[in-house]
Amino acid sequence: MKAKTSLPVVFVTPTIVVLGILAFVPTIFAINIALQDRELSSPDSKYVWFANFIHLFSDRRFTNSVFVSLTWELVTVTATLITAILLAIMIFETMSTRSRNVLTLIFLMPVLLPRVSAAFVWKFAFNPLFGLATYPFKALTGQPLDLLSNPSTALATVALVDVWQWGLFFAVIILKLLESLPPQPFEAAKLDHAKTWEIYAYVALPMLKAPIISLIFVKMVESLRAFDLIYVMTRGGPGITTETLDMYAFSQGFIESGNISYASSMAVLMMIVTTIAFTILWKRVRT
Amino acid sequence: MMRVQVGRLITKIAVYCAAAFAIIPVAWTLLNAFKNRIDIVTPVPMFFFTPTLDNFAYVLGRESVLAGLLNSILISGTAVLIGAILGLPAAYAVARYPTKWANDIQFFVLSLRFLPPVAVAIPLMVIWLDLDLYDTRLSLIITYTLLTLSTIVWLAIPAFQRVPKEVEEAATVDGYGPYAVFFLIALPIASRSLMGAIAFSFVLVWNEFLIALMLTTSDAKTLPIVASELTQLGRDVPWGILNASVILLSLPPLLFIGVLSGFLNTIVKKNT
Repeated sequence: MKAKTSLPVVFVTPTIVVLGILAFVPTIFAINIALQDRELSSPDSKYVWFANFIHLFSDRRFTNSVFVSLTWELVTVTATLITAILLAIMIFETMSTRSRNVLTLIFLMPVLLPRVSAAFVWKFAFNPLFGLATYPFKALTGQPLDLLSNPSTALATVALVDVWQWGLFFAVIILKLLESLPPQPFEAAKLDHAKTWEIYAYVALPMLKAPIISLIFVKMVESLRAFDLIYVMTRGGPGITTETLDMYAFSQGFIESGNISYASSMAVLMMIVTTIAFTILWKRVRT
Repeated sequence: MMRVQVGRLITKIAVYCAAAFAIIPVAWTLLNAFKNRIDIVTPVPMFFFTPTLDNFAYVLGRESVLAGLLNSILISGTAVLIGAILGLPAAYAVARYPTKWANDIQFFVLSLRFLPPVAVAIPLMVIWLDLDLYDTRLSLIITYTLLTLSTIVWLAIPAFQRVPKEVEEAATVDGYGPYAVFFLIALPIASRSLMGAIAFSFVLVWNEFLIALMLTTSDAKTLPIVASELTQLGRDVPWGILNASVILLSLPPLLFIGVLSGFLNTIVKKNT
């Protein structure tokens, strides 16, 4: 039907060239820097090859940050998905179309906020002296509640903000997915006297398996971008209990020592692991 | 029957609680933006007070905030514009002229999203320092183009695929060339979804924090950086001013809530 035309070449080539340069030049530079001993304070540097990488494995702060990052991934992805599925089902069961439209806008709002704003809004709400969220506790016990300075609750408190943004957003998507399902399987299950939870667990959710797996994938990628929340809310503290990999790389490269090569070796390691993991996952999701 | 009714009522209440959970923290911030400091730093939260515009006046009167606002608008705006000009034609070509490369291109564009921002920011900082472009708007625009371009291509491919093929074929029969079909037929028909994709990429770079934090120190600082600096002030925090600047920072993304909610509908329809 379509005659031979120059359009695909003309339209695709410049974009791929630009994206290729923007993506590969920094990647190659990152690897190059990671193999040197460059510092922010001095322009001189020499190649130390894999010394930075070897040093990483004996760095306890590094292993701690790997552990914090993995915990963060696991906690935020799971909590987001559970919140989203439960909330979507509750809305789908009880709300009229009009209230659903209003709720959609309400639940979309948190995710649109800049993460810096979201982090501040909640940091303020959790303020032990005059925060809204800590007030009930203070009023009941007379003690101030400082969740962000407590090593055992700080990470969970930051994770709550992440779920506030993404869990509510995903609830809207899952609600729209539920609305797109045909009604017949629901009616058939009801005729068989299936309980409400059974209808969802055995009928509705299995039908949405593919899009929900895609959502999990998206959330796993997005959870890696926790830096903004942690930077504003705890700066990795108290101690290093909320120091994720990107937070540690940032503080190594910029705050404490200006050791940019060491920071880069962490970034390169992260880049390799995430690219391999997500490529494998994505190919699995697609097949 | 009674039990089912009670169950529904409890579920409804739970949904309303979730809605309150979504709104209250933001509403509280908005309220505090209109309070004097003395009304914020109270042992018991205050809901009734004499509102003041001092906080907003102070924020908008600060040079750093205005400079950040201008930088954010210029940098995000230009990066989105370049992303759209380069990204939309490419997305159309991938959607309409399937070659053996189409899948690889789609995956390449997606895989850019896997790159940890730290891993992009550290080498770019060195590159911009070496080129003497560190802390300039130009360097941040180029960096953000990576984000906007890949996002726009990724989201615009399905948007173009949803344009009915027959319409384009009819136009070809009428003597339209391939370029005319793109500009006069496909682009206008897909425009609503495309606006969604563009709005999404704008929100993405407007909200971006880590890269801007590493690539700017004074001249090119964007609004999120300026706002975060305000939040890191010491003990005598000017809370009202802080709340006002957070509200100011959050307004532009919220303006797109309608566009993005419509965009979400079209995406979900495609998947099913």
